[in-house]
Amino acid sequence: MVRASPSLTVGKALLWLVLAVPAAAMLIDRLVDPEPWLADYIAASGLWSARLLILALCLTPLQLLLGHRRWLAWLIRHRRAIGVAAFLYTLLHLALYALDMGGSAAIADEAKAPSMIAGWLAFAAMSVPALISSDGAMRALGAGWKRLQRFAYPAAALTLVHWALVHDGLSEALLHVVPLALLQAARIAKVFTTKRMYA
Amino acid sequence: MKRLLMISVAGALAAMAAPAAATGKMSCDAPKASWKSIDALQAKLKKDGWKLRKAKVDGGCYEVYGIDPEGRSVEAYFHPVSFKTLLISRRGQVLFKAK
Repeated sequence: MVRASPSLTVGKALLWLVLAVPAAAMLIDRLVDPEPWLADYIAASGLWSARLLILALCLTPLQLLLGHRRWLAWLIRHRRAIGVAAFLYTLLHLALYALDMGGSAAIADEAKAPSMIAGWLAFAAMSVPALISSDGAMRALGAGWKRLQRFAYPAAALTLVHWALVHDGLSEALLHVVPLALLQAARIAKVFTTKRMYA
Repeated sequence: MKRLLMISVAGALAAMAAPAAATGKMSCDAPKASWKSIDALQAKLKKDGWKLRKAKVDGGCYEVYGIDPEGRSVEAYFHPVSFKTLLISRRGQVLFKAK
């Protein structure tokens, strides 16, 4: 936190380039596929949104577990970009969904399905950290900023519910979330054991 | 414990890359020679008021994605011989299931 917020460094530019790769792959697939199907891109954008959100939430527990690693410290320094990218994939997910549904009446009609309730709530939860992601918001909110960023956790939980229900099967969603759950569990376990040591 | 955790994380990451198999949502066991064509199913559904987006085979049944006559965006399973409706679900919520 000592260093001034870097403007566009080479590292940051590279990170954004990497974060854009899934979107580019989707675009290429769309151009190459003789029979593209919109629903495939809705699924892909949702998948990448979830993956990036999970990645962002894995970093701190990974650091607690592995100790200082340069690559990890770098990723943690750029975690905000990863989170913002996750939200941008969510927006793409929603835009493609809206395009596929063709109208708000059709969207409202199916919003009552449990999977969709979870999805919309996940979007709402994810909007909080995304909307306060700018340097200005970070400064203005001070200590409250960190607390509001924790909306990412309910966002991840709701994403898991949405994912499991919409695909009527837990397996793919669990495969992604289990690493995060294990890391978070290890983090919590560590907090407790450390406390006991110093008690 | 640390090693165990890393192994499980690696295992889960490896499994993530595995390709998806049949969904197992519905299965039909009619011999393939007796199937009617998927085009015939699509023609019938269109006549019934469906707007179809994609049709394929899943678990030995025909699986169709589209808008049903009520205007709902659904996923539906049909028997490949009788074209009987077996399952209709919307965003993972089952709307109809044949007994």
